[in-house]
Amino acid sequence: MAAADAGTFRARMSRAESTLRRTMASQADRHALYEQAVQDPERDVRFFSRVYRRLRGRDALRLREDFCGTAALCHAWAQSMPERTAVGIDLCQETMDWGTRRWIEPAGEEVASRIALVHGDVREARGPKADLACGLNFSYNCFKTRAELREYFEAARAGLDKDGLFFIDLLGGMESMIEGVTDNDQGDFIYRWEQARFNARTHELLCYIHFVFPDGSEIRRAYTYDWRLWTAPELRGLLLEAGFSKVHFYWEKTDREGDGTGVFYEPSFVENQEIWWTYMAAEA
Amino acid sequence: MRHKKKQNRMHRPKTMAQEADRHELYQKAVQSPDADVEFFTERFEQLRNRPALRLREDFCGTALLATTWVKSDPERTAVGVDLDGATLGWGRQRNIEPFQEELGERLELIEGDVREADAAPADITCAMNFSYCVFTTRDALRSYFEAARRGLRSDGIFIAELYGGTEAIDILEEERELDDFTYVWDQERYNPLDHSTTCHIHFDFDDGSRIEKAFTYEWRLWTIPELRELLLEAGFADVRVFWEEVEADEDDDEDDEDAMMSGTGEYVEVTELDENQESWLVYLVALA
Repeated sequence: MAAADAGTFRARMSRAESTLRRTMASQADRHALYEQAVQDPERDVRFFSRVYRRLRGRDALRLREDFCGTAALCHAWAQSMPERTAVGIDLCQETMDWGTRRWIEPAGEEVASRIALVHGDVREARGPKADLACGLNFSYNCFKTRAELREYFEAARAGLDKDGLFFIDLLGGMESMIEGVTDNDQGDFIYRWEQARFNARTHELLCYIHFVFPDGSEIRRAYTYDWRLWTAPELRGLLLEAGFSKVHFYWEKTDREGDGTGVFYEPSFVENQEIWWTYMAAEA
Repeated sequence: MRHKKKQNRMHRPKTMAQEADRHELYQKAVQSPDADVEFFTERFEQLRNRPALRLREDFCGTALLATTWVKSDPERTAVGVDLDGATLGWGRQRNIEPFQEELGERLELIEGDVREADAAPADITCAMNFSYCVFTTRDALRSYFEAARRGLRSDGIFIAELYGGTEAIDILEEERELDDFTYVWDQERYNPLDHSTTCHIHFDFDDGSRIEKAFTYEWRLWTIPELRELLLEAGFADVRVFWEEVEADEDDDEDDEDAMMSGTGEYVEVTELDENQESWLVYLVALA
């Protein structure tokens, strides 16, 4: 009885508190936090544009963003040149609606008219062929078998123009295959990346993103990822099996302090690191 | 003058490294054929409900495991396959001839490619010490696995050993002291872009001498899911994974997270290999 009473009291107290002062977590928007902590769409646009121009001798105009989420990249792409168009594809309508309100509507009719968002499976979506397609933030890791991932890569290639390019990013390094938590201080919140479970037998990796605020409140498991962590040679092999003619690895140059410079080169060998992420590009 | 100097040098006593035999050191440092025979025997009984009699040891080197297998039971036979005639010759001389009477005609050695060698079908074929990692493409490795399956009886099993963990994909040098020498495992190079790795074995001696690069390996370090997929593509019906149980070293505090873990020699089947360790060793067992 006493214990139950104490519990009820605590519940009443926290309800009372919440009417007095809302926590930072309860006022935050997980998509906005995600974009701030994880994405850098302008940088992606610059990098993709540069690589495309170098390999194809002209500007890429039409982008397809698979697993587009809030479509921040589609927006940055359409903003970068008036001739550019973008289509974003995602399974989650709610996230795309958020992106429409956040990015596309405020950009004005001229920009908005050059962006289309499609609710659907990246393996099935159809539309005009793109110069450049991408599957970023490691989202393709949701495909856990070779057959499924190959099918996605085949679809990505089928949706490309004959001289199109397909970009993915990948995660690796010693610490990509262990369990652990990494905090990244964003100033007004902490972005917390948790690798909750890694299964060396299957390379399945279960991850969460949590957001932690200065008042101690949290958005726990704001995002959950149930992945197979594909490795660089596996991705390369599957891209070639899916019909891509050539696969490039890009690696970021670092300065004397070991910080990224934003300049990428194509190595055939790199030394492994505790954690790294990089881009691959496949030529249709 | 020059000539004289040379002669002097020749009369100098030999270093321990010069007197040592790298195959003998390798067998002492790396191999544990009795434990392997025990593991193979138990696994086969458990999976197939009959005793295993015939072993095929691919990449057999000095054929120490094949010899140990044949000695373990008078009904057992074995065949060892290796590309390197000199190493087979060493094994014949050191591991086989001294026991010729006991071994009789029950042990055969074939100098050749494991993908092509033709021998009577085996109950168990094994590829130990990660040797199959010389096959660096999926096609090459699949064709080896297909050959391994063809060389088995209808209820045969194929056993391949694999190492991994976070330290396996790093550059490192690891020493292990044995009675009269130190074994050095040197991971000189690992490329995360294609998973190619260059490793060496060196042997160090008490007089300061060393056999540098006694053995060198150019491998692709495959992962468990990759091997599993290729074994299934090669026609095996199922793949099971066993790994060695570890325990904290006696000298270390068990609560200490940095405590050194040692293998117990006991293998358990794993379905969820949660929490990648710094360094692990598994047997993949593929059922024909």
